[in-house]
Amino acid sequence: MYIRVVSVFIRGKYSMRLFEFYSPRTFDEATALLSQYGADAKIIAGGTDLLIELRKPGAKTPKAIIDISKISELTGIREEGDLVVLNALTTHSDILRSQTLQKHASLLCSAASTIGSPQIRNRGTVGGNIMNAATCADMVPPLIALDAQVTLKSRGGTRTSSLSEFFVKPYVTSARPDEILIDIRFPKPPAAASSSFVKLGRRNAVSISRLSVAAILHVEKNALVKEARIVPGSAFPTWQRVMEAESILVGKKPSRELFAEAGKKVAEVMISITGRRWSTEYKEPVIAVLVRRALEACWDN
Amino acid sequence: MRESVGIIATINKKKYEIEVAPNTTLLDVLRDQLGLTGTKRGCEIGECGACTVLIDGQAVNSCLVLAAQIDGHEIVTIEGLADGNTLHPLQESFLDHDAVHCGFCTPGMLMSAKALVDGDIDPSEEEIRIAISGNLCRCSGYQQIVDAVKEIPKK
Repeated sequence: MYIRVVSVFIRGKYSMRLFEFYSPRTFDEATALLSQYGADAKIIAGGTDLLIELRKPGAKTPKAIIDISKISELTGIREEGDLVVLNALTTHSDILRSQTLQKHASLLCSAASTIGSPQIRNRGTVGGNIMNAATCADMVPPLIALDAQVTLKSRGGTRTSSLSEFFVKPYVTSARPDEILIDIRFPKPPAAASSSFVKLGRRNAVSISRLSVAAILHVEKNALVKEARIVPGSAFPTWQRVMEAESILVGKKPSRELFAEAGKKVAEVMISITGRRWSTEYKEPVIAVLVRRALEACWDN
Repeated sequence: MRESVGIIATINKKKYEIEVAPNTTLLDVLRDQLGLTGTKRGCEIGECGACTVLIDGQAVNSCLVLAAQIDGHEIVTIEGLADGNTLHPLQESFLDHDAVHCGFCTPGMLMSAKALVDGDIDPSEEEIRIAISGNLCRCSGYQQIVDAVKEIPKK
């Protein structure tokens, strides 16, 4: 017995313009639709960024919206030998609760826990966070620190790209309009390495990153740093490891002073890339402190 | 261009077959097509949580879900919380603790709290605060709400 509802009303303070809606169940259907519509199509997964965009006054409405949320192969987290694979529809809540990620890359769980609210985390996906490519995307700095690769699929085949080379500028990636991001994979860091993610927002919940830092620190048995990775978020137009600061740490004994020195170097590099802006007076000391705290958090683990 | 998409979804344990416009949200359909106005329209950008409903047991902002995306899913709204004339223990507890001031955030708060207590019958205060962190109450009655969730009448 169904309750049949025939009337269609469209209302809402912020309304969207009409588009074709498709809900493919397989990759083949989805890639066929994408090759048909090209740049006139937009993919929706969790919708937490896209629906806000579509309702902005003057928003550009795509001809078609392709809902990939019903493609079952796109969900789940798995280990493949030395790799961890996150399928693109993995939600922030899935990441937050994943035992696999707690064990191998706990900075991803920390980062996921700072995104939006439980409601947003239950819908928003790691794939969407990457493809939306906002400079404040919280999953991206940890994934770049983990040296992640993305896998993209189109009707023509599958290709991979290193995540650090995937972004062109804020809100623009190098994915072609006919490609779907299907998974993100990264090598498991050494068991002795520890990681952290620290974020500064204007409040504790439902908060956009003003600045963030993802860090991985591998200290050897001889108590010297073997490897360090530092990736700031919301600091550069696109993300990158700050090798100049990482190299300060390598071969040295971890200390608060050493971490502070690396923090100062990150601030210096940030300013050399972005120039001095109205916010620099604030961001310069703050990014240095966040880097120090992120490294201390690794060291405490 | 197709002006409607046919979907089948379970809403408050009833099966619905609905023609929805592609450019409508779950919130629009609940309130304007189905008359389930207990779910509130607040900020419409996913910040206030007034429109919170459960999809397959998880709290979500219904303003950020396209109606067409709920095909095949199970939705619970505030109207699905009570069992006939018997209030849900959470609703009883909200009454007992005066956790309702103006009432606009209450349906969303209750749905976020339900998602929490369905998974964990004895959450800690911190877990409660995280669970309702996406729900704004501008009467600032958070303490009573936290107390209400903490002391659900055990039934």
